[in-house]
Amino acid sequence: MNIIEIRNLTKYYGKARGIVDVSFDVGAGEVFGFIGPNGAGKSTTIRTLLSLIRPTSGSAAIFGKDCITHAPEIAKDIGYLPSEVFYYDKMKVIDLLRYSASFYKKDCSKRIKELAERMDLDLKRRIDDLSFGNKKKVGIVQCLLHEPRLIILDEPTSGLDPLMQQTFFDLLREENRKGSTILLSSHVLIEVQRICSRVAIIKDGRIIRTEKMSELTENNYKKIRIETGRITDDSRFDLPGVSHLERKDALLSFFFKGNINLIMKRISEVEISNVWIEEPTLEEVFLHYYQKGEERA
Amino acid sequence: MNIFLREMKANLTSLFFWSLGMLFMIIGGMAKFATYVNSGQSITDLISQIPATLRAVLGFGDFDLTKASGFYGMLYLYLLLMTTIHAAMLGSNIIAKEERDKTTEFLMVKPMSRSRILTAKLAAGLANIALLNLVTMALSISIVGQYSTGEAITGDILILMAGMFILQVVFLFLGAGISAVSRDPKISASIATTVLLGAYLISVAVDMSSSLNALRYLTPFKYFEAAPLMATGGFDVISVMLSLGIIIVSGFATYYFYNRRDLCV
Amino acid sequence: MNIFLHELKSYRKSFIIWAISMAATAALFLLLYQAISSDIAAFTKVLESVPEALRNALGFLVGSLSTLPGFYSIIFTYLLLCGAIQAMNLGISIVSREVSAKTADFLLTKPVSRAIILNAKLMATLVSLVATNLIFLAVTVPVALSQDPGTNMQLFLMISATLFFVQLMFASLGILVAVVTRKIKSVVAVSLPTVFGFFIVGMLGSVIGDKAVRYLTPFKYFDPAYILANSAYEVSFVVTGAFLIVAAIAMSYLIYVRKDIHTV
Repeated sequence: MNIIEIRNLTKYYGKARGIVDVSFDVGAGEVFGFIGPNGAGKSTTIRTLLSLIRPTSGSAAIFGKDCITHAPEIAKDIGYLPSEVFYYDKMKVIDLLRYSASFYKKDCSKRIKELAERMDLDLKRRIDDLSFGNKKKVGIVQCLLHEPRLIILDEPTSGLDPLMQQTFFDLLREENRKGSTILLSSHVLIEVQRICSRVAIIKDGRIIRTEKMSELTENNYKKIRIETGRITDDSRFDLPGVSHLERKDALLSFFFKGNINLIMKRISEVEISNVWIEEPTLEEVFLHYYQKGEERA
Repeated sequence: MNIFLREMKANLTSLFFWSLGMLFMIIGGMAKFATYVNSGQSITDLISQIPATLRAVLGFGDFDLTKASGFYGMLYLYLLLMTTIHAAMLGSNIIAKEERDKTTEFLMVKPMSRSRILTAKLAAGLANIALLNLVTMALSISIVGQYSTGEAITGDILILMAGMFILQVVFLFLGAGISAVSRDPKISASIATTVLLGAYLISVAVDMSSSLNALRYLTPFKYFEAAPLMATGGFDVISVMLSLGIIIVSGFATYYFYNRRDLCV
Repeated sequence: MNIFLHELKSYRKSFIIWAISMAATAALFLLLYQAISSDIAAFTKVLESVPEALRNALGFLVGSLSTLPGFYSIIFTYLLLCGAIQAMNLGISIVSREVSAKTADFLLTKPVSRAIILNAKLMATLVSLVATNLIFLAVTVPVALSQDPGTNMQLFLMISATLFFVQLMFASLGILVAVVTRKIKSVVAVSLPTVFGFFIVGMLGSVIGDKAVRYLTPFKYFDPAYILANSAYEVSFVVTGAFLIVAAIAMSYLIYVRKDIHTV
């Protein structure tokens, strides 16, 4: 069963492009990554899912129900953490969390305590005295306190120190193991890489690709660097499947996708002093898609 | 200079709408004058017999309403009310907006002292109220002139506008001072306008009862009233001194507290 | 219910302060009543000597000023001014605060429909205004009685009730303005020019006695002379006022439910 189904979702702000024809599904129990550079349309997609904005055309469904018409019903089982959290200044942390809990007809007091302890959050302080990072922690507790079936995170880690990020990701993994589905948007690819099983890549408002994380990072690309004794004719490496061919003095580097034997043969034709064949990081894969998109356009 | 220009630009639309408001008030007010004068001499005669305190209660004031200048004198109070509201809000906003819009960090880390930032902002505020004053003056002279049958009104209007400008400066600095002293930038405009509203209500009460005359120096609205200004053609010395006093004290407070405050993010 | 209580709590201090300051202002003006009653007597004499047609034209001035409710009805204009500012501030702020405090992402992703959120906010506004008026009455009624034990309480209360009605009009206007605009940076920057604009239109209109102007400004929907003479409100104005309130609220619902909530 799919938790999220997005079909041809399009949003224009007047004439300005928000997202165009975005479609993807997120299955139950998945940790789904949503990556793209700033302004690509990640937040627009997420805000439409939460019915904060209305699509120009297309539709989105969560738990099989339409996002706009069934918004309040769906929201019962969603936890949402925006990239920047803002709360009512004059409240104490605990009052804000209780206020938040009062919307979900169940007792969350034990869970609030638990989560606050895990996140090392002082419940008695006033919100306006909190630092940016501590406000983010309030956001995390607020997002998870009602044990939602779907957790939506929009650039969640900004403002958290690495230790807290670790705790936060541990928490997310636990929730995922208990059955929650997670949608995480980010431009920090390493964090998507750490936790997600599948990703959609968005650029200029369009989804360029939806892929399994494993396929993205393992099967497709090799990052190859060779050090040649002397500068040779590099055009021999200009094969189909090779991209980002670059030479820096004696170092030649490129990405390769395709039959690995073919490229090995070519490498053996030149005299080399060193060779590295690596899995590209998601960052590099992503950059690759991003630039290929530009060529196409 | 860049801050000054930035503030001028930021307030341009608002200044335009305020000017438009003044235009409507003057046109509307003076159009009423035309219908009023035609409504018959006897009623206006009778109104002039109403005792002064009652006239204040009823909102007529101390004017010969059969003359364009007298009618304008009555209108002046409301023009004054609008321009001082503008000045008080401008004064408090121009200080408070950086914290409200969370742009403090942007502006305050620039290589410029807080005093210089303040000076630029206050200069922009002064330029804004001066512009509104000039617009009001031009509108008044041209529109009231249409209705004054041979009566010389330009001199009266000039002295009224001079009085108005002093009051505008008073409230600009009061607003700025309140913003600089208050901890919460969100409510400083409210405090400034509450002070203004209180001053206006005191002036209404003073008009009504001679026993409250002692309070007249408490409210700036009594400093430059149309009737005495038009009658004598000059300012009351105590009122001018008091205005200057308020301007200097709140100006000083603005610089003093703004330089020392912890800016919230 | 939780939203309602939350909103009510956050505006409690504000409406108590407003109610007390307004009550204090009203009390101050009421205390002036005796001081100017001699002026009133003198003026009544002047009026007796003028032709009857003229006296009728100015009739309400005499009739109204010689009693405490009459005097009160005229100074009440200034209390309406304060009350209108309070109500419009409240209306604008209660709806726009989620945007200006950037808490829209918090509240609007909760499992409640936008209509319910707006309901709760409207109820909180209504209750705040009712409470303001009750506090106000609790102070002004005893003061009025102390000034003139024979005060016609029906008229006094009818005049006081216009405050509530005018407040409802300005509150719904404020709500509509807040719903229509994308972001309101400063509440008073919107409310003060609006309220004072209407106030001044009303003041200028009343000096002239212009009938058409009365429909333009809520401040003139209740003519003191009419109330004092007939112990009733003018039906056409009450109906128009009620219609405007309902229309503003209905439009607010329609727009709010469909509104795009943008990132900060």
